[in-house]
Amino acid sequence: MIRRTIPEWLFWLLAIGGIIALLVSYEMVSLAQTRTNELQTTIPSFGKLFEGLKQIFRAQGLPENPKPAMFWVDIRATMWRLGLGMTIGVFFSVLVGVLMGAYRWIEAPLGPVVMFLSKVPPTAMMPIYFALAGTDQSMFASMVALGIFFSMTQSIYQAVCQDVTDEAINKAYTLGASEFEIIYEVIWKQILPKIIDNIRLQIGPAMVFLLAAEMVVGGAGLGYQIRMQSRVLNMSVVYVYLAILALIGLAAEWGLATLRRKLCPWYVD
Amino acid sequence: MSQYALEVKSLSHSFGNYRVLDNIQLQVYPGQIVAVVGPSGCGKSTLLKAILGTNPPTSGEILTDGIPVRSPNRNVGIVYQNYSLYDFLNAEQNVSFGLKLDETSFLMRLFAIRKYLSLRKSHLSKSRDFLKQVGLESACGKYPHEMSGGMKQRVAVAQAFIMRPKIVLLDEPFGALDEAMREDLQLMLLRFYQENLLAKQEGRRPEYTILMVTHELNEAIYVADRVIGLSRFHTQGDQGAAIVYDKPCPIFSPEDPRDFSKFSEQRDELRKAVFDEEYIKDRNKYVTFWSELSELANRVAEPR
Ligand SMILES: Nc1ncnc2c1ncn2[C@@H]1O[C@H](COP(=O)(O)OP(=O)(O)O)[C@@H](O)[C@H]1O
Ligand SMILES: [Mg+2]
Repeated sequence: MIRRTIPEWLFWLLAIGGIIALLVSYEMVSLAQTRTNELQTTIPSFGKLFEGLKQIFRAQGLPENPKPAMFWVDIRATMWRLGLGMTIGVFFSVLVGVLMGAYRWIEAPLGPVVMFLSKVPPTAMMPIYFALAGTDQSMFASMVALGIFFSMTQSIYQAVCQDVTDEAINKAYTLGASEFEIIYEVIWKQILPKIIDNIRLQIGPAMVFLLAAEMVVGGAGLGYQIRMQSRVLNMSVVYVYLAILALIGLAAEWGLATLRRKLCPWYVD
Repeated sequence: MSQYALEVKSLSHSFGNYRVLDNIQLQVYPGQIVAVVGPSGCGKSTLLKAILGTNPPTSGEILTDGIPVRSPNRNVGIVYQNYSLYDFLNAEQNVSFGLKLDETSFLMRLFAIRKYLSLRKSHLSKSRDFLKQVGLESACGKYPHEMSGGMKQRVAVAQAFIMRPKIVLLDEPFGALDEAMREDLQLMLLRFYQENLLAKQEGRRPEYTILMVTHELNEAIYVADRVIGLSRFHTQGDQGAAIVYDKPCPIFSPEDPRDFSKFSEQRDELRKAVFDEEYIKDRNKYVTFWSELSELANRVAEPR
């Protein structure tokens, strides 16, 4: 029967079973591959993966002149680009989206433009960013910012239109609100949970543009390293990087969900 | 200070070529609870929106306490049927929201935190007092999604009245509520009216002035002290709806039994004058000229 409930313990047993099955079958495929080719690195065993993990955290450079481990260099570069780009992108899309929802004379000229540009796949725009912004750090950040800007502006604008009713605004006027207070005390407060949700939803796409760009250009970063290592079939490092990316995604998801619960206890979805 | 809480002068309203309201004249004294009834689509909400200032009338003038209404402002309060409260504020914050907006500013909240916090404290305590008065002291911390429809409407009424506006507009405020909650809310309005009477006896200006749209004739006569009927069924009806009924009605105190048979005669008259499509009459047939009867409008208590 569809959606029939199963006991809680059985659910968890199956969930853990699924993960174990994945790990065991991976190891078996890896062993089979090693049997045909002693030196294979495409499907490294867990032992090799652990080697990879140690390798990425090993300090580089000479003992008398140590350099940070590969992983720290890459994660710093990527997170910095992602953080800066997201901050700029979120700031401007909230600003523009809210103003579009608040003023018809801003909505009219920007609405169709934003709607149109939000439909262009940002990865397809990458060559334009390379041409316009060069290939330095600021290119990555502005690419992330612009990559999320149009679709996020569109979502924020729609959230204002749907969640903030005319009644809410008119009532605020009857309670003595100024225009600025309506924007800050009514519109902003009402859509804050939607903003947080949208940030959560945009992290995925932002990572896609950023890693894709890092694979094409750049001398550091998770995307750059994944490409360099997979070129020499050093998959033990590549898989560890992928696992770390998944963990970052989970952590961001969890963090933003918690933030939303804390800041907007009133919100029920 | 004007003798009228609300004055509507020769108000007409058209949507395109369709004339909805024709030459509405209305004066409401401070402390009156005026019920507006009429067939659906006759323009009741249009009239309220004009008074609120969101949809200015095609012609005519509206004054609250002698001041012309140009846009929604703190002189006119509103309670909607479907949209009652701000989701992101709990009950006491919702009620004190107007005090916050009115008495503090964004800059003050940033740069004069001490002053703001002490004001905030007094706002919240005022708000709790008001909630207590409408029987909701246990719900102060509840968010709208945790409250029933009746509780939300009570909070919304408190939210409007705490601002001491010249008049509060209620557009079918209890329409979505079940019978028991409706009765509770009607009693709440009757208690407000008792305070108005007390204020008049003590020579103060009454605080609760209400213009309330309802489709329940019993509710109109039971709660209000004056009923207005809006309708197109009059001799110039093709020009738009007009006030075809305007009379005082019996006053109930919250302790009185809810005996609607007392006013069955007036109810039948009201139904005929406002809702009967066949009965086309002069628009002034059932209208009391209040300006000549101001002593009636300022009545302290009705002999039963
Ligand atoms: N924005 C509008 N544009 C055109 N016609 C409208 C608009 N709002 C209301 N009307 C028309 O005006 C009439 C009165 O509407 P309304 O005031 O909402 O009636 P009610 O008495 O039921 O509250 C109705 O016939 C309605 O169709
Ligand atoms: Mg209506």
